[in-house]
Amino acid sequence: MKMDLQMLPDVDVVELDNGFRALLVERRALPVVASVCWYQIGSRDERTGETGLSHFLEHMMFKGTDKFGKGEIDLQTSKMGGSNNAFTDTDSTAYYFSLAADRWETALEIEASRMRDCLLDPAEFQSEKNVVLEELAMGEDEPWRPLYQAAESTMFQTHPYHHPVIGYREELERVTVGQMRSYYERHYGPNRACLTVVGAIDRKRARQRIERLFGSMPRVDDRAVAIREPEPTGERRVVVKSPHSVTRMCVGFPTCRMGARDDYALDLLAHELGNSKSSRLYRRLVVRDRSVTEVSVMNEVRQDPGGFFVMCELHPGADPSKVEAAVREEVAGMVADGVASADMRRIRTQIESSFLFQDETVLDLAMKLARFEAGTPLGFRTLADVLPTYASLTRKELREVAARYLDFDRATIAWAVPAAGRAESTRGAGKTSKKARKKPAKKAAKKASKKPANKAKASRRKA
Amino acid sequence: MSAPAVRLDVAERTLASGLTLLAVHNPGVQTFACVASLDTRVADDPEGLPGVANLVGECLDEGTKRYDALQLSAAAENLGAMLEGNHRGGVVMCPAPTHKKATDLLRELVLEPTFPQREVRRVQSEVLTELQAEADDPRSVAARRFRRRIYGDHVLGRAMQGTVDSVAAIKPKHLRQYHERWFRPSGGYVAASGPFDTEETLDRLERAFRGLRGATPAHAVYPEVTLGDASDEHLAMPREQVHVFLGHAGIRRTDPDFYTLSVMDHILGSGPGFTSRCSRKLRDEMGLCYSVSAGIAASAGEQPGTFTAYIGTSPEHREKAVDGFLAEIRRIREQPPSPSELQDVKDYLTGSFVFALERNSNLAAYAIRAKRFGLGFDFVARYPDLVRAVSVEDVREAAERHLHPDRLTIVSAGAS
Repeated sequence: MKMDLQMLPDVDVVELDNGFRALLVERRALPVVASVCWYQIGSRDERTGETGLSHFLEHMMFKGTDKFGKGEIDLQTSKMGGSNNAFTDTDSTAYYFSLAADRWETALEIEASRMRDCLLDPAEFQSEKNVVLEELAMGEDEPWRPLYQAAESTMFQTHPYHHPVIGYREELERVTVGQMRSYYERHYGPNRACLTVVGAIDRKRARQRIERLFGSMPRVDDRAVAIREPEPTGERRVVVKSPHSVTRMCVGFPTCRMGARDDYALDLLAHELGNSKSSRLYRRLVVRDRSVTEVSVMNEVRQDPGGFFVMCELHPGADPSKVEAAVREEVAGMVADGVASADMRRIRTQIESSFLFQDETVLDLAMKLARFEAGTPLGFRTLADVLPTYASLTRKELREVAARYLDFDRATIAWAVPAAGRAESTRGAGKTSKKARKKPAKKAAKKASKKPANKAKASRRKA
Repeated sequence: MSAPAVRLDVAERTLASGLTLLAVHNPGVQTFACVASLDTRVADDPEGLPGVANLVGECLDEGTKRYDALQLSAAAENLGAMLEGNHRGGVVMCPAPTHKKATDLLRELVLEPTFPQREVRRVQSEVLTELQAEADDPRSVAARRFRRRIYGDHVLGRAMQGTVDSVAAIKPKHLRQYHERWFRPSGGYVAASGPFDTEETLDRLERAFRGLRGATPAHAVYPEVTLGDASDEHLAMPREQVHVFLGHAGIRRTDPDFYTLSVMDHILGSGPGFTSRCSRKLRDEMGLCYSVSAGIAASAGEQPGTFTAYIGTSPEHREKAVDGFLAEIRRIREQPPSPSELQDVKDYLTGSFVFALERNSNLAAYAIRAKRFGLGFDFVARYPDLVRAVSVEDVREAAERHLHPDRLTIVSAGAS
């Protein structure tokens, strides 16, 4: 079905001399405003010995600044009838507010204050470290997170994507407030940030406020170029011994950067392979073989080449080696046959729809603009090309992209199998063992075709 | 601080069958949502087979008179729609231009499911695996045990999904019988929200759902829920953290103290960010946890919910956390909050409710809730005054009436 969709809203761009950029969109359906302050700072910027600092610092950014004392950011937000939160992933840290339209500018003052003047009080640092360690413990208990982290750590052996966003316990326990201050001063500055504001705003007034609040901020060093992960020289395997009695599998293939043409092709391939009930893996593993209860596929693109992940949760008693063989067969089938024309139409419709639902709330739209502005070479303007790019991909091109990336000689195959004493066999699983972090389960085949959220992500609190 | 002024354009039409149709006009959006919510209840599960209602919801999209399971999902995907069933009906969300066909698919899913044996068996085994995964998850284990402790043998103590034994015993005929008996129009609602004129939407909903006929049988009458005695139980599981639930039976949505208790919750343990007393004390000051909450109003429904305090923490902190909750529960019963503390919460509640009205699916659900609980469509306009009317002494008195620190059920699961 042909839909006439408005993908790129009318955006006012504010560009300051110090490198700070803000995108303003007026939307007046309800008297609300959302703002997102998106920093190009993530776990990829951390050095050995300081893993988890980006995320820990994100927590500390709510613990007081020169103008907003301890607890004041949350209290002010709450008094204004708003909400705020933040998250950290491999490439970014984002802070966001939803506020009523007559009081949203306080969000600007908070963001300006904590860009350079976060207090990082030593007592608060100690107390919040305990919170972060509890968050880490919570993640270690989750069924998918250690598996996903094991897959990532195995896939990325040189690049900093190797280490968990939340960091390693031993390094978090040792990290000092001095190290955090140094990290903060090194990375937090206007040229590493962009701000999006969407809602019932006066754009001229917003522009003036932004210029006044952010215009005098000093620049910091631009982001360092990360080491490029070498091309894998063969299949890699890893097994996590899990306290959970259900067996789970994660297969990852290294891929490309966000916004590359191949990224769009991989999105279509992810839908074809496993993101709906019509997908190959759902029909094969869930409906025909009945070996798997859930399957999902994520094209997890990043600023540096990311990964394409297939996740399966096995029925008790299902033979892991048969499940793995079936996944190999279906991937190979897609590489050989590509995507049928009717399926291409269906998948494009699903993707168009998912972009539409990413605009439902002012915060959704602010977040989408920020993600594209920070994550793609052309910034938010990429949005104008998104649907035409999906439409321009040919079946031949999809076959070529599938062949280039979805090759098991480049794959990491990770299993989470029940530890000794739990009911389940480990047939078909590999050799080494590793324990780590992250990834919530998702009944993808039951859900709409939304682009999956970044799984390598830690947040100040659960959404 | 003034509350944002919001006025919703909602229209309703009750059909001769007893089905009520609701339409919300949400101008300027490019999306549409339609929700069917019939008058079914968890207790409508056949005797001895808990989990039937849940499985009916899970299997509604596994085949209709016109489509098999894969054809139905492909039909939805071709519209860019998300279509899901549940034990009360279902929901469809789609781009606005495809709303007619999407509403038709929802009608088919709700009115004409076929529950084919092969697909029912598959979904059944998925639910069984889900139950197994939950049994591995200490938070789920503790939550389930907590409800059981509070409600005892009362039907509200049952897990919605049923048990491993009951789910395994369910046959397709049970699903068909349940659907035939309970998917009836009277007492039910179908609500839609999108950029369309409300009368046009009502006409379309009427054409789609006029085939829903027959009378809804009388529901089983629930016995009153009573407060249990204090208890404390730990279920050991080899994990990093321990998940602690603490509380007792709660209130219905129609309880006259509902708004006062909503305010109390935000002071005690449900406030945004880390502004509530429990968050400030247990997370910010003591650093005991990442996740902590306490409240009674959020679970209030047609039947009594629970007062629930929750924390996920390291096992050595379990007792400190329980003591921390107890101290805050006693404090809010014994001393009124300060006027500024109360004002902060009022400002939050009166300013933030508007954010729940941004999505079409939320607007449709809101219209249904407004009817089901007799709130009226002008509720969004009246809500700020209901909250503003709460005094500090009201909060203390409601806490004293509804929180019972000497009758707490404490259940934990995880690391010892």
